[in-house]
Amino acid sequence: MDCAGIINEIKAKFPGFSVISAVQNYPDEICLYVRPEIFKDTCLVLHKILLSPVKMLFALDERKMANKFTVHCVFLSAKSGQWVTVAIDVPAENPCFDSLAKSIYSASLFEREIYEMFGIKPEGNPDLRRLRLHDEVWPQGSFPLRKDFAGAPKNISAENLPAYKFSKVEGNGIFEVPVGPVHAGIIGPGHFRFSVAGEPIINLEIRLGFTHRGVEKLFEGKFLTQALRLAESVDGESAFAHSLAFTQAAEKIAGISISLQAAYARAIFLELERMYNHANDIGGIAVDVGFSFPAAIASIIKESILQLNEKLTGSRYLKGINTVGGVLRSPEEHEIRMVSGFLKEIKKDFNQLAKILTTSVSFMDRVDTTGVLKKKTAEDIGVAGLAGRACGIALDLRKNFAGVYHEAKFKMAVEQSGDVLARLRVRIAEFEESMRLVEFFLSKITPGETAFPQPQRKEGEALGFAESWRGPVLYWLKTDCNGAIERCKIVDASFCNWQGLSYAVLGNIIPDFPLCNKSFDLSYPGNDL
Amino acid sequence: MDILITIAQLIVFIVVSPFISGLISKIKNNIRMRKGQSIFQPYYNFFKLFAKGEVVSQTASWIFKVTPFVVIASSLAAASLVPALITSGPSFFLGDFLALIFILALGRFFMALAALDTGSAFGGMGSSREMFISSLVEPAVCLVIFAVSLQFGTTNIASFSHIHMVSISSLAAVAALFFVVIAETSRIPVDNQETHLELTMVHEAMVLEYSGRSLALIELASYIKQMMWFFLIAQIIFPIALPIFGNGGQFFYWFLWYLARILIIAIAMAVVEASVAKMRLFRVADFLGFAVVLAMVATVCAILGV
Repeated sequence: MDCAGIINEIKAKFPGFSVISAVQNYPDEICLYVRPEIFKDTCLVLHKILLSPVKMLFALDERKMANKFTVHCVFLSAKSGQWVTVAIDVPAENPCFDSLAKSIYSASLFEREIYEMFGIKPEGNPDLRRLRLHDEVWPQGSFPLRKDFAGAPKNISAENLPAYKFSKVEGNGIFEVPVGPVHAGIIGPGHFRFSVAGEPIINLEIRLGFTHRGVEKLFEGKFLTQALRLAESVDGESAFAHSLAFTQAAEKIAGISISLQAAYARAIFLELERMYNHANDIGGIAVDVGFSFPAAIASIIKESILQLNEKLTGSRYLKGINTVGGVLRSPEEHEIRMVSGFLKEIKKDFNQLAKILTTSVSFMDRVDTTGVLKKKTAEDIGVAGLAGRACGIALDLRKNFAGVYHEAKFKMAVEQSGDVLARLRVRIAEFEESMRLVEFFLSKITPGETAFPQPQRKEGEALGFAESWRGPVLYWLKTDCNGAIERCKIVDASFCNWQGLSYAVLGNIIPDFPLCNKSFDLSYPGNDL
Repeated sequence: MDILITIAQLIVFIVVSPFISGLISKIKNNIRMRKGQSIFQPYYNFFKLFAKGEVVSQTASWIFKVTPFVVIASSLAAASLVPALITSGPSFFLGDFLALIFILALGRFFMALAALDTGSAFGGMGSSREMFISSLVEPAVCLVIFAVSLQFGTTNIASFSHIHMVSISSLAAVAALFFVVIAETSRIPVDNQETHLELTMVHEAMVLEYSGRSLALIELASYIKQMMWFFLIAQIIFPIALPIFGNGGQFFYWFLWYLARILIIAIAMAVVEASVAKMRLFRVADFLGFAVVLAMVATVCAILGV
């Protein structure tokens, strides 16, 4: 699909449509600049044509150069493997734009984010509560992602600040159970506000943002190679997926195409990351129902994959191996043999683990029909990745975009029922597929080859993406004429999926919440940024 | 003499009961291919907690403060009621076997009140769940006691020490009691002692607010209660007579077997815990309902004399 193709398609449904300019900088990215008046309608039509939720919706502060803000809304065209962006200008004075939230629900969180970070008002969005800058500690009227932001406010007295308003359920016998942000386990901080009638959950509101570190702001002004280390640290459990998404965007801007060897090596590391995390989650699901023996097997599998990671890359969590232009080190001959032997061992353990879980009556009773997320709800919210595939949304960036995965005949795992069991089954299927993929890519790789081109400092903008074990990780990068990053927008799959969790638990009993939560296993830092 | 033996029995319970918990935990960890904590960890914990200060919620009333003592007292009173070393004693005037149920209920009642007292959301959930579970546990225990008492025509506690053969009735009673004890000692599949997930807890949710000495007492109380239940199961399934003090050699073998049968039950408990997943909360009703049915079978068999 090219610019003209998509414009014609939109015109067929929306006769009043016209573009200011349409650009296709890269084969997989189409950007349409439109007038602000038709922004909402254009997005709505694209949403229907592409059957895609809003994948990214973000703003840029360009007041210094052009005295305006810009808002971008990105959709995924799964069929053609392309990203379609609608962009508008927003005036610097009294900035606002037409809210999409009432027509496209998946835009609502993004709009709240834009409002809190830039002060650009999505006109018509009924819920503009802040996501990350908590009202208790952060005064109104300070917008961190604006370029003239002077740093975090100091010496705030909490007295005059308004408290966050949770949605309330009222009625006879309805109780509120507040949980967190400090939890008993070693997990991230998040506040969960349950409204319960006895044990069943009537409503759950999740308040996050406790690990907000201003990551997107930190990217600004850094050069690509410096910023890579930052991208790796956004979310420790998917360090490689984040670095991969970042480097893809960076390579597009720098005009580098990576060698096939590097692509194989990256795919291997991405799958190893998926494997250790899936093993961890399968074990975690078993732990949460008190099924300790299979959990022990899972933790053995996870630990041995981490040790393998360390042998291959020097880092248990695959940090510092990826770079703009390729990988710093690809497996040596003896390492390839070692990995093959290792995979055989893991396969045995993993089959045993899967068998124990799926044949245990007591375990299946807990996971079957627990925490059902309906496909329609998931589509509306924009649930992506593993949680989406478990309720029938057959999307996987590895499948949708051309690349080495096509060569490997990648098989996507999809389940329909959307319960904890479905998410578990997708994990099991993906783990097995990942083992096969790693073996396939190892057989293709030429040992020890690491040559890669040096990136040049260029101006440009591009979108990078990777299918992490949770789901898509998207990086939108813009660099200035010196090659320094002007804006970096990150969307982790967790951002929309957290909302999916709050719908999946409805009607379940409170003691089943930890199990539902673990079956999603979403990221706090990836969401809070 | 009776008073001395009663005191001796209580001391044995206090000293030995933490060991049983440590042992179960050790076995469970070994099944999970882990080294696990020391068998003596419950003792270390006890002394650690005893040396620590306490944090008490500002909203807590006197109920919160007296509950640890009520709970330990009810556990000790219950332990003095079972014929572990004694066949008669001062405590037996407290009442018969039915008194055992009420004495334990007293501790549980205070525990549930104390959990509500602090106003924490988890305490309330724990209390409500504990009451739900105990409403199913108590009928099963009653029926088991009836089954045993029917065989001897008395609800006198000493009847437990008269058991010397295993009948069909006692097999059913033991099975029922085993289910009950799983719930009473908050073990998988009813509850999970090891979990950190507050939302899934039953017993642990009630004691979340306790720290220091109070927590030490509450934990000790649950060890004692656990050992008492184990003893009752052991006495029904592996009945032996009380010791003949005096003959050294005979006493030694008696003592070994006496302890070994409790260990057997502890091992069975550990194996069950490591091999199943925890149930959904409302499935506990089915699980304990089954225990009630088994106990009823035991009672009917006892009436029929088999």
